[in-house]
Amino acid sequence: MSLINYSSREINCKIVYYGPGLCGKTTNLQHIYSRVPQETRGKMISLATEMDRTLFFDFLPLELGQIRGFRTRFHLYTVPGQVYYNASRKLILKGVDGIVFVADSQIDRFDANVESLMNMHDNLSEHGLATEKVPLVMQYNKRDLPRVVSVADLEKELNPSQAPYFEAVALRGAGVFDTLKVACKLVLKTLG
Amino acid sequence: MVKGNWALFEEDFYSISLILQTLMRSAGSRSVMLIDKTGQLINSIGEPPGFDVTSFSSLAAADFAANAQLAEMVGEKDFATLVHQGTNESLYLSLIANRVILVVLFDKKTSLGLVRLKARRASDELIVVLNRLFNKLQYRNEEATVPTLGAEFLAEADSEIDSLFRE
Repeated sequence: MSLINYSSREINCKIVYYGPGLCGKTTNLQHIYSRVPQETRGKMISLATEMDRTLFFDFLPLELGQIRGFRTRFHLYTVPGQVYYNASRKLILKGVDGIVFVADSQIDRFDANVESLMNMHDNLSEHGLATEKVPLVMQYNKRDLPRVVSVADLEKELNPSQAPYFEAVALRGAGVFDTLKVACKLVLKTLG
Repeated sequence: MVKGNWALFEEDFYSISLILQTLMRSAGSRSVMLIDKTGQLINSIGEPPGFDVTSFSSLAAADFAANAQLAEMVGEKDFATLVHQGTNESLYLSLIANRVILVVLFDKKTSLGLVRLKARRASDELIVVLNRLFNKLQYRNEEATVPTLGAEFLAEADSEIDSLFRE
């Protein structure tokens, strides 16, 4: 839920990276953290297990600076992808302004993508949010791997609403910023 | 509400600041924060904390959210207050109007009892201000526009996003 503070002249927006386990949500945030100027980013928080699997969420605040007198910030969150952490996923979605759905392009992860997407719809509706009302960007990750589903098939199955999509190799940073930029712009458009 | 978001206007911000300042002084606490339930910092009063308040806010909201789920599991509607007691520093967190979290950071110079008492009083006052604000937002939604965030804002934001978020 974006918060506009007219007194301290601040705008805060929340973008959540959603997707199945090991699809690259945390990798997206790590890449963003490593590449944005130091004054743009805050501290990155990762609540992860000892095996570096996200337990609760990752959090990265980004600041655009002053725009027409408003300090504009984006708070990026990831959800834990593993199926049994649904209670945590639901909590992170609370107050979401925009979603990046990171899909794993590998053939054997196709069903996991579908399941995660359905789970996202369910969790949004439990918050009283209709998926079509929330700005959404699709990211088809791991395009460099050998056995991947074609983009056309991913689009057909995962993106019926024709949200903007990007191909990505998050580990190398490809497509990460394209995805982020469009997500941020879509979110701000809902405020304008 | 303003297009599904929530906005804080100058007069409400000052009322809130005043309540928080009074709470901080009367409870003998080090600092007081007000955080939106989704993890956004609304206001912070007192000693500038030696930590990142943005991250702190997101963790405090997550803490509350997780505890609310635990409450539900044991058959409670919610745990309206949480206390984290450390050797030197302690935290008192309380949910107000089901929308915002009041956080009081205090040390051994004061007691939990006093913090709790003063925080309850402040919560009652904050509820009045917040309800007034929510009613106002409802009304402004009918006007359907937020005058300061127009096309120029979006154009400038877009170009800033393009220049900052790139390889």
